Amino acid sequence: MAKLKSGDMLAKASRVIAMRTAELRGAVLALVDQLEEAMRAKDWPTVFAATHEIRGFAETAGLNATGRIANGLCHYLDSIEQLGAGPDGAIVSLHVDAVIRSARTEDDAARHGDAVAKQLAALVARKLADVKEAARR
Amino acid sequence: MSGGAFDHLKALVVEDNQHMRMLLRSLLNALGIAVVFEAANGEDAFVLLRDKQPDIVLSDLSMKPMDGIDFAREVRMSKSSPNPYIPIIMVTGHTERHRIEAARDAGVTEVLAKPITAANLFQRIGEIVDRPRPFVKASDYFGPDRRRHAVEGYAGPFRRRDDFENDLAVR
Repeated sequence: MAKLKSGDMLAKASRVIAMRTAELRGAVLALVDQLEEAMRAKDWPTVFAATHEIRGFAETAGLNATGRIANGLCHYLDSIEQLGAGPDGAIVSLHVDAVIRSARTEDDAARHGDAVAKQLAALVARKLADVKEAARR
Repeated sequence: MSGGAFDHLKALVVEDNQHMRMLLRSLLNALGIAVVFEAANGEDAFVLLRDKQPDIVLSDLSMKPMDGIDFAREVRMSKSSPNPYIPIIMVTGHTERHRIEAARDAGVTEVLAKPITAANLFQRIGEIVDRPRPFVKASDYFGPDRRRHAVEGYAGPFRRRDDFENDLAVR
């Protein structure tokens, strides 16, 4: 009985998320506007903050690729900060462009699926390895 | 599991993003928690903590001016804290190891990584209700016991390595 009750509640809670998908997508798009503006102004703290917010929201809003790409950028920015180095503008710019395009594209999965996220993740891994290698020398 | 018997709980959501606040409220309601208070920052949360006496706090990590880590530390350590023992679930998109460790060391009870799912939220609340952890007081820490591993064959009250190694050696 208890198990049945928790199952019902989980199903209800999952429906709540599904019902709010459109609203959350709107919130992500507003954050994407903020991100674009911050990128144009080279306002890095806002780029960082907006990217983290997008990472937290995107997948709940059904924007899975956007979430993965934002996650990759957060990982890069956080790791580079930990290594005491500055971010490479090209890496940030590539990710931000991909986040913006994937969030604004209706067919998120088809155009910006795993391929983009994986390529960017590989790029981040290479760059972080370079920075670590340079720090070791 | 508790079977989802959360309807007796009162929750406080501390989150600066209005959409996330609404989502958390709706999710908590769906999980049976009807009484949910909301605060957009740590200062307001402290007032609600004192006035409304919730049973559980869900707090974002990234907030201004007081972030979730500082808020948790204040709840646990401040002399003016209304309830230093209240369970705190940190809701965060920052899943890097050093940030999770910082949350743990501030006295956070559970961490819930974004993107939030109903199952994950249910599991964290269930953990708090069904398996409350003892509190530890040290010179620089007050909060739930950070060591979750049980040592096989040792059921004594002390948790430092020397304690259980000596105990096992004597036996």
